[in-house]
Amino acid sequence: MAVIEVEGLVKTYGTTNVVDGISFSVDEGEIFGIVGPNGAGKTTTVESVEGLRQPDGGTIRVLGLDPIKDRYEITQRMGAQLQESRLQDKIRVAEALDLYASFYDSPADWHELLERLGLREKADARYSELSGGQKQRLAVALALVGSPELAILDELTTGLDPQARRSVWANITEIRDAGVTVVLVTHFMEEAERLCDRIMVVDKGRVVAIDTPTGLVDRIGSEQQLRFRPSAPIEDDVLAELADVTAVAHDGAQIIVTGTGNVVHAVTALLAQRRIIAEGLRIEQNNLEDAYLALTDSDGEPAARGEREDS
Amino acid sequence: MSATMKITRTEGKLFARDPIALFFGLVFPAILLLALGYFFPGFDEPAADLDGARYIDVYAPMALVLGLATLGLVTLPPILGTYRQFGILRRLRTTPVHPARLLWAQLAVHTLVAIASAVLAIVVAVAAFDVTFPEKPIWFAISFILAAASIFSIGLLVGALARTTTSGQAIGMGIYFPMLFFAGLWIPRRIMPDGLLTVSDLTPMGSAVQALEDSWFGLTPSMTNIVVMLVWAIVIGFIAVRVFRWE
Repeated sequence: MAVIEVEGLVKTYGTTNVVDGISFSVDEGEIFGIVGPNGAGKTTTVESVEGLRQPDGGTIRVLGLDPIKDRYEITQRMGAQLQESRLQDKIRVAEALDLYASFYDSPADWHELLERLGLREKADARYSELSGGQKQRLAVALALVGSPELAILDELTTGLDPQARRSVWANITEIRDAGVTVVLVTHFMEEAERLCDRIMVVDKGRVVAIDTPTGLVDRIGSEQQLRFRPSAPIEDDVLAELADVTAVAHDGAQIIVTGTGNVVHAVTALLAQRRIIAEGLRIEQNNLEDAYLALTDSDGEPAARGEREDS
Repeated sequence: MSATMKITRTEGKLFARDPIALFFGLVFPAILLLALGYFFPGFDEPAADLDGARYIDVYAPMALVLGLATLGLVTLPPILGTYRQFGILRRLRTTPVHPARLLWAQLAVHTLVAIASAVLAIVVAVAAFDVTFPEKPIWFAISFILAAASIFSIGLLVGALARTTTSGQAIGMGIYFPMLFFAGLWIPRRIMPDGLLTVSDLTPMGSAVQALEDSWFGLTPSMTNIVVMLVWAIVIGFIAVRVFRWE
């Protein structure tokens, strides 16, 4: 069963459609990512799903319910972390969890949540004394304290340092492993690539693509590039004749071999056979960030990197 | 414990952790009376420029209203502004608990502090300056409740519109000082010119001071004062609830 079903969602501010006909569905037990440039309509979309905004068009079902009409029931079963939302400076971590737990019919054990999110030693700390990462982990804990079936996390790791970000990532995977469906709004492609089962790319209020991370990367072609300095001379022709190689070029002492499929294996095997060492070898592959940049063009620049394949 | 009780208790704790709010909201009216009595000789003796009344008799009810005004206009609006600015109200909307409960919790906490602050000020007036206990306690309680309702509804309206902590503070203060003026803090109502007195009667604080003073010293408060407070409480309270924005 789909946990979230959105069909033709439209939200208008003034005369602009901030969300202009977005449709998607989120399956039970997956981590569903929503990525897109600032102002693409990501937050408006999830806030409509959360029942914070009244859509101007389209239908939304969350756990089979209407987010606005069935608000009470949905809020019992959904947890949210909102972008740029904080708590009272003087509230203590344990107080906040205890308070939020009292809102739900069947709350989770918040002591256990504290433990799981590594906040145990901060239980008596005031909110203002927490680091950015700790605040975000508390936000996750509060989103989970109602033992929800669905957790919606909006820009959870924005403003965190790399260590804190990674520890929050580990938490998100754990949440999913515990059986909670997760919707993750982010603008870190590395985050989306690592965590999400499927990703929806949104631009200018519309869906550009919905696919798995590898599916999205494949859309812009699976071209790979090897750069290295050979320890002994090697003729371009020999390289060019290899299967899967599409081009050979030079950049000073470096050779640049472009190709598809098994090009990396073909080149390294040839070099090994000739006892040539590939010094400073670098392999470049398209990643989700390239796919994202190709799929969105919010700067007004046409999608330049990689061949664009519209879905 | 129910969610409502828990929210109220939590908000109470948060209030108690704010030393400035605690000082001005809870103990300032009592301290003001003590300070006035200490620094102004003759504070508790009949004064010719008050038609023979004692300054303490005029200032004791005023101290109570000052306490209410400080809580309603100085501490309440920035708290609501902060809760909106921080997205705390918005965050609550994603839970089964409606954010309105946070407002009621704040009003409950402010009302409890107001009552405690009034009791303190009354005890000081009685113990230090030989003022009688309120002689018409029922009318006194009614006047105090109406005063709190009318003043807090103004604070709620400011809090309903303030987007941030600072705007809550600024607007609250902008109402606080003129209101204190009309309440007679600088020119006691007894010696106000007629025109000013009429204006004062129409403000919730002017009416509050008069109704509290009357019932304290054995008179039934005038219906004008009671009705003025009632109308402010209902009209402004209604508008505040209607225009309240959760984000």
